[in-house]
Amino acid sequence: MSTKKITLLSSDREQFIVDEAVAIQSQTIKNLIEDTVPDEDGIPLPVVHSRILAKVTEYLTKHANYKPHNDAAKEELKNWDVKFLGKLDNNTLFDLILAANYLDIKGLLDLTCQAVADLMKGMSVEEVRKLFNIENDFTPEEEEAVRKENQWAFD
Amino acid sequence: MLLLLMISCLSFIFLSKFLSFKPLHTWAIEKMSLCSSMSMLKTKTMLCVLGSSSNMPKKEKSNRFEVEVELEEEETTKEMWLLDLPDLVLESILEKLPPSGLCRMAGVCRSLRDRCRSNYLWERHMKEKWGSVIGDAAYREWQWHIASSTSTCTSSFNGKKKKKARFVRSLSCILCFAWAGLTLDNDPKKNRPSLSDNSIMSWYAALESGNFWFPAQVYNRENGHVGFMLSCYDADVNYDSQTDSFHARYPPHGRRPAVIEGGVQWNRLRKPPVDTSAHYLHISNCLNELRPGNHIEIQWRRNKEFPYGWWYGVIGHLEMCDKIDYHCQCHSSDTVVLEFNQYTPGSRWTRATINRKNHREEGNETEGFYGGIRKLDSNQEITTWKRLWPAEVLA
Repeated sequence: MSTKKITLLSSDREQFIVDEAVAIQSQTIKNLIEDTVPDEDGIPLPVVHSRILAKVTEYLTKHANYKPHNDAAKEELKNWDVKFLGKLDNNTLFDLILAANYLDIKGLLDLTCQAVADLMKGMSVEEVRKLFNIENDFTPEEEEAVRKENQWAFD
Repeated sequence: MLLLLMISCLSFIFLSKFLSFKPLHTWAIEKMSLCSSMSMLKTKTMLCVLGSSSNMPKKEKSNRFEVEVELEEEETTKEMWLLDLPDLVLESILEKLPPSGLCRMAGVCRSLRDRCRSNYLWERHMKEKWGSVIGDAAYREWQWHIASSTSTCTSSFNGKKKKKARFVRSLSCILCFAWAGLTLDNDPKKNRPSLSDNSIMSWYAALESGNFWFPAQVYNRENGHVGFMLSCYDADVNYDSQTDSFHARYPPHGRRPAVIEGGVQWNRLRKPPVDTSAHYLHISNCLNELRPGNHIEIQWRRNKEFPYGWWYGVIGHLEMCDKIDYHCQCHSSDTVVLEFNQYTPGSRWTRATINRKNHREEGNETEGFYGGIRKLDSNQEITTWKRLWPAEVLA
């Protein structure tokens, strides 16, 4: 049985050839396939760079070919997700969130958002400001008020 | 292509001489469209290179482009733009944080503080942690509590002692709040230094801190006191986060003074299943459908001055019935047998009968009074009662 191939075109015009079943896990790509006349080079994804699209297709390929039927298989897929995230630096993680959001891939968006949330969990307020480049715009009074307001969570 | 890059770079160097350089967010850079044929990420890389020349890599590479790509990896990690993420994405990150994470993020900046206070984010935590023990009565108590703590409403107000006054005043206070809430909500971008008392986060914090006592029901009150085994009584409870358990304050019981019990675990607490006060008869609407084998809860009190508690029992067969399913006609009799099998067979507490046609309250000073009945349809409720079953048969 031959499988239909889809060519995806990153913002820097790199081609990614994947099975249709892999590609249509993205709702956006699915809609593009159905609703638009394809570019001769492939389906253009103008806001996704090849560096990120490579990660996206890696994720989609694994998840399309691997439909877990039992707990052990689910566990293995989960472990694969953990390893997949482990290889990303923070910046790639953020670009991947934007790509997952744009391409409308719920599983990948959930996975990457969870990873950022996990990153935040272990950080102090100062560390969060530093990592995400956020300016502290509180007045000293406001900062004290918010500290008091949330004290219960840290007692 | 490379030439175009270089030209862009040079013009940017000139620009940066005049303007103080501030790291730019991706979206801003994207909008500037310095170089339409270049990808967003590489554009960012170039800006980083130029913005901080001290960070230029020491390592020389023959291919200039490769150096830039490598720089991208190093530099952009300092340029994460959490606050520029689309609203729904940021929300979906925040909704994966536990309560303590939300509280910490609220301390980062004004924008995150306002987001982390949103009712939407706290609703789920509220339901998850407190859903099984917080009912309508507890919510009403909270509304009274916040109304009574507003200075404009409380000058001569003492909640517990003046119940009627409390009710009238709190109604007017709730109206004040509703109005205040509406005006606040009209301007979502306004800086709000203090948390609204009416918010779910505020309520969650009050529950968690143990400052707020709320009405709930406690199974096997007073550490499973033999006189209360397989019953569930009203109590005011507050949370102790250190031990992850509750204090329960039972109202006076006839001559027994009010009692406080500590260390009440989560699985001994529930929200009141019906909105009937412990001093009122629950109107039973299941009498006609009761059949042998049904699980029930019935209101029972020792005498008419005591509050009712809910007691677990099952519907039994009439004495003349041979208890064989297809012969059994018990469900068509007006008499319904209630069995409390936790007691020794023959004990006066083991059986009681009521009339399904006109049952209201049945009993006497010796055996106590049997009030309204709830038929238990949920397996979860039945399982909870069975889990509380005493280790030994009660005398």
